[in-house]
Amino acid sequence: MIKYIIRRLVNYVIMLFVAISMTYFLASAFMDPRSNYMSRNPRPPEASIDRSLDLANINDKTPVLVRYFNWLKGIVTEWNWGLSPDQEPVAPAVASRISSSVQLVAISTVLSIIIGVSLGVYTAIRQYKWQDRALNAVSTLFLVTPAAVLGLLIVLGTIAINNATGTRIFYVTGLHSYEGGNIGLAILDFLQHIILPTIVLVCIGYVNYHLTQRTYLLDTMNADYVRTARAKGLTLNQAIRKHALRTSLIPTTTNIAFSIASIFTGAVITETVFAINGLGRYFVTTIQDNDINGAVCIAAFSGVCTLAGALLADILAAWLDPRIRLN
Amino acid sequence: MSDMATEEKDLGLNQDVATEGTPAAVVVNPVSQGGDAQDLKRTGRMTLYVRRFMRRPSAVFGLVVLCILILFALFGAMVCPWKYDEPDFTALAAAPSADHWLGTTIGGSDMYAMIVRGLGRSLLVGIISSTLIMIISAVLGTAIAFFEGVVEKVGMWILDMLLTIPSFLLVAMIVRSSSGTSGWLWLTIGITAFGWIGYARVIRTLTMSLRELDYIRAAKFMGVGSFRIILRHLVPNLGSVLIINTVLGVVSAVNQETALSFLGLGIKAPDTSLGTLLMNGQSSVLTAPWILLFPSAVLILLTFSVQLIGDGLRDAIDPYSRSAGKAE
Repeated sequence: MIKYIIRRLVNYVIMLFVAISMTYFLASAFMDPRSNYMSRNPRPPEASIDRSLDLANINDKTPVLVRYFNWLKGIVTEWNWGLSPDQEPVAPAVASRISSSVQLVAISTVLSIIIGVSLGVYTAIRQYKWQDRALNAVSTLFLVTPAAVLGLLIVLGTIAINNATGTRIFYVTGLHSYEGGNIGLAILDFLQHIILPTIVLVCIGYVNYHLTQRTYLLDTMNADYVRTARAKGLTLNQAIRKHALRTSLIPTTTNIAFSIASIFTGAVITETVFAINGLGRYFVTTIQDNDINGAVCIAAFSGVCTLAGALLADILAAWLDPRIRLN
Repeated sequence: MSDMATEEKDLGLNQDVATEGTPAAVVVNPVSQGGDAQDLKRTGRMTLYVRRFMRRPSAVFGLVVLCILILFALFGAMVCPWKYDEPDFTALAAAPSADHWLGTTIGGSDMYAMIVRGLGRSLLVGIISSTLIMIISAVLGTAIAFFEGVVEKVGMWILDMLLTIPSFLLVAMIVRSSSGTSGWLWLTIGITAFGWIGYARVIRTLTMSLRELDYIRAAKFMGVGSFRIILRHLVPNLGSVLIINTVLGVVSAVNQETALSFLGLGIKAPDTSLGTLLMNGQSSVLTAPWILLFPSAVLILLTFSVQLIGDGLRDAIDPYSRSAGKAE
């Protein structure tokens, strides 16, 4: 088992290195930090532009390979992910936003999994009954609705509610606004902020778990061993709970492990709609500012998350499912 | 190969008619007593597909809505006195009225004209990129599975590597550098360039069982070229899956387009798309909600109708689907 995990890990590290390097070259080819200065009025002198770009190691007059090796040397020797065009180090900027993203996404991911899996089980047992059809239709609607549309419509509805009641029940921007020391009020304030983005993220997130869990459970419900369990005299509910459900949860577990990656980048739209200063919003800023090092740093971080999820999925699958041969 | 094809067709017919609920005897006849087959009216494969598709009210509803939307995008501009790029400076952020049917934006552009244009752009980006994605992933996915051995290992490793970084981030980087009227083209290229990878993996998995079939082996041993086997035998046999994925792919392509344009990274003024309109609407949620509401409604109609068509097609033509067998 240990040997298997180590082999996967080494493979993932190599994969990550190639992917990040590819992203670096792609970003260098398509993003143009020089244009930030060219549009300024009065335009700074050429030499001064070159100097600022050189300081951040993003000058397009330096060959891209030289820049790449400088950048790589910085990371390997001092864990320095480079500077933005404004000479701000990007690594601390990314690190400081991780906590907002986690706050936002952790609650909604847990809720999505619970709601999605229970709905999947509920509808699978009632296949083709009206509950199944109705919930399927609702989930399909959420599946196809763009996150931006959902977020903005919820904002519109909330503003109507706030106006109707005359008080600010829900906040539509940020994660905190309470400054005092009272813990109770601080929590209430946090809840008032977090509830709307959470609703949006749950609506988008639960659908996948619902539809896949339903399919998996339907697959196992018709398996021979469930029929045997029924023949032994178990009721349908017992047979499903003790035999079908357990096996059908294996692919869902893998799904959950993989969702770790989307946790950090899946909320770009929601963060923009609700003005939450998380990783997603920072990424949009880096793209708009032609911040090559910043964009690559975020891509690298999400790559690490993807592969951490993949590794977790490998381990969970091997642990849960004895049929997977490790060698 | 022609014998093979007819036999396959007959087998297909058997299953199809059986699920239709026609007496089994009628079905067995043409196969067992070939001579009498002339008297029987055979139901063609396409007829069956159409009939099965039409049996689902939701699929028909989706098809009707999509047709209306396409007609609207093509000809909607003809009935409107305003153009999407000619703002009316006498009516800024005006509410819907007889003059401006769906109101105007803050810049004074007519919402009706903007939506017609935006819908056209979203449809164009969605359909073109989804089609290209499916062509690329079909050829590469089957090729990776067909060559087996080292090619398969290396190919899968590259696919996994490309999936490491979320494609949304990479598309955003590429599209950023585009501007003005060619923005939609770059967006299509970006979505295509990073969209095929996941589908290629799925198609490779499906091909793994296909490549073991006798007719593929026969072709291989007869000396048919690899490329020819892939294009003539493997890809057509995945046809139904590819068609379904192309239709459903339109939904995700439109969603991506919307997301990128909404963030200000995709289609930019003077051109417009539904995502760009949403971005405009966001800044005036309180004062001019119609800028937000109408594009949202059109977007949901578009994606929902395409999804319904895709689900209907899956039930009608997907041989791997288990949902068709259990119809009441």
